[in-house]
Amino acid sequence: MLLSPEVLAILLLDIIFVVFSLVAFILSVKIFLQWDIKATTKLQYTLEKQSFLTATIIKYIFALKLPLFLFFIFTLDKISGVLTGAMCAAGVVNATNYGVYLFILKILNIYVFGFWLVLHYLDIKKETLPYTKIKFGFFSVIFFLFIAEIIVEFLMFNSLNPNKMVSCCGTLYSSASSSSYISSIFEINRSVLLILFYGSFVGMIFSYLFSHKYIFSFLNLFFIIISIISLIIFFGTYIYELPTHHCPFCFLQKDYYYIGYLLYILLFLGTFYGLLVGFISDNKQRDKKYILSLIFNAAYIIVVSSYVVIYYMKNGVLL
Amino acid sequence: MIRLENIIKKYTINKNNTVTALNNINLEFKEGQLVVLKGSSGSGKSTILSLIAALSKPTSGQVIVDNKQISKLPDNFAALYRRDNIGFIFQKYNLIPTLSVQENILLPLVPSNLDEKEVEEKLNLVMDKFQILHKKDAIVRNLSGGEQQRVAIARAHVNNPKIIIADEPTANLDEKLSRDFIQILKELKETNKTIIVATHDPLFFNLDFVDQTVCIDRGNLQ
Repeated sequence: MLLSPEVLAILLLDIIFVVFSLVAFILSVKIFLQWDIKATTKLQYTLEKQSFLTATIIKYIFALKLPLFLFFIFTLDKISGVLTGAMCAAGVVNATNYGVYLFILKILNIYVFGFWLVLHYLDIKKETLPYTKIKFGFFSVIFFLFIAEIIVEFLMFNSLNPNKMVSCCGTLYSSASSSSYISSIFEINRSVLLILFYGSFVGMIFSYLFSHKYIFSFLNLFFIIISIISLIIFFGTYIYELPTHHCPFCFLQKDYYYIGYLLYILLFLGTFYGLLVGFISDNKQRDKKYILSLIFNAAYIIVVSSYVVIYYMKNGVLL
Repeated sequence: MIRLENIIKKYTINKNNTVTALNNINLEFKEGQLVVLKGSSGSGKSTILSLIAALSKPTSGQVIVDNKQISKLPDNFAALYRRDNIGFIFQKYNLIPTLSVQENILLPLVPSNLDEKEVEEKLNLVMDKFQILHKKDAIVRNLSGGEQQRVAIARAHVNNPKIIIADEPTANLDEKLSRDFIQILKELKETNKTIIVATHDPLFFNLDFVDQTVCIDRGNLQ
């Protein structure tokens, strides 16, 4: 196992998370099964107290998880210097069989924890606590995703071998990549990709104007995928000013003014609120989640597009 | 109207040791009543007050105030209920000693979003009513016990609550000041406030304007 101080910090937090989330899980199951808001029994009053404790634990786990995800990327970036062949986090992710799954789990868990948090705030906004049973039932499910993430994280760090040669991002994210899922995305036509990218945002605006919450959410889900692909294939090359460099991690580094963090945060916030619209919003009412989603997604589009515009203005050509 | 139904309140000292503070209590107080809860120390008087004020929850049973289940309120709503409905008078006044009289009195108004003029009007009104206006800028720790008690009453009254709760309010006062306090309670009762006093002070026991006296002993009604 590669035990850098950053990895140790992450593993230590993982142990704390496991202990606390286990407490939250046991109480969540109990609350989910026995909650009856109308009851005035000893059991119900006990559950009401325990629901407060459980919600506090989950909130704190989420509050730590969000910055910890950024710290995780920072850690991968840092330990890439130790792995032979790795130039950035991409090399570390692909150095083991677990990296990609861990990344998917981490992103998925941030979204589901975010949804849980929104459900929680909607719940405590009303005296009758209408979503308590649902939110703790939901946590009982996402607990397993969370534990899976921690196990895969441990396996990934445990499998890192500094003596083993790994591929750098230049090899991994190229049209000649041996990895089938990466090479396949380079087959997508750029014009089609850009039409889908900008078109999905225009679609969001229309579905906002006509208050179609499910279409709005679906377009956001689509936007996550299309944004990441377009970032790898098209926009990333303008950030690096290199037509052959497609890494989705290198722009998290100092050389590119850490712009990647801003991009991913904007994309997360925009699509998170967008997905939330479909889950929670009232169909008849255009609430602020629509607006927040559009604002963050628009900001993302403006930032990535500005690299293309600036490059064109400076050089008079496109890559 | 305040109703306590089948209230049991137990305090857990440790895993094997619980104290039953209230044992299956059923009570009903009507609006505008002055109620005296009578009993020795540790009888459960203060526990009843804390349940009515939604400061604590029963182990089982329910507390209903104006048809609303207070005992089931989540903490954030319980705080709003207290802010809008309850005025507290404590045995040790619970004033902030380093603040002035008017600063102490306006504390319950801080979260109410009233404008400055309204706050000042309310302040002057209560300070005048409880004869403390001339000391409005005095620091509370420099006041006498009786004056501090009047500040505490003014603070309990400033947001015009429907229910005033007083826990051993005369325990730190001499007899004259206690009688003054009782006179203030009488005046408050005339404004149709529901007043619940927990006390073992004999001065309260034979008052003609007390509507209901409840005797409690070791968590049971007598």
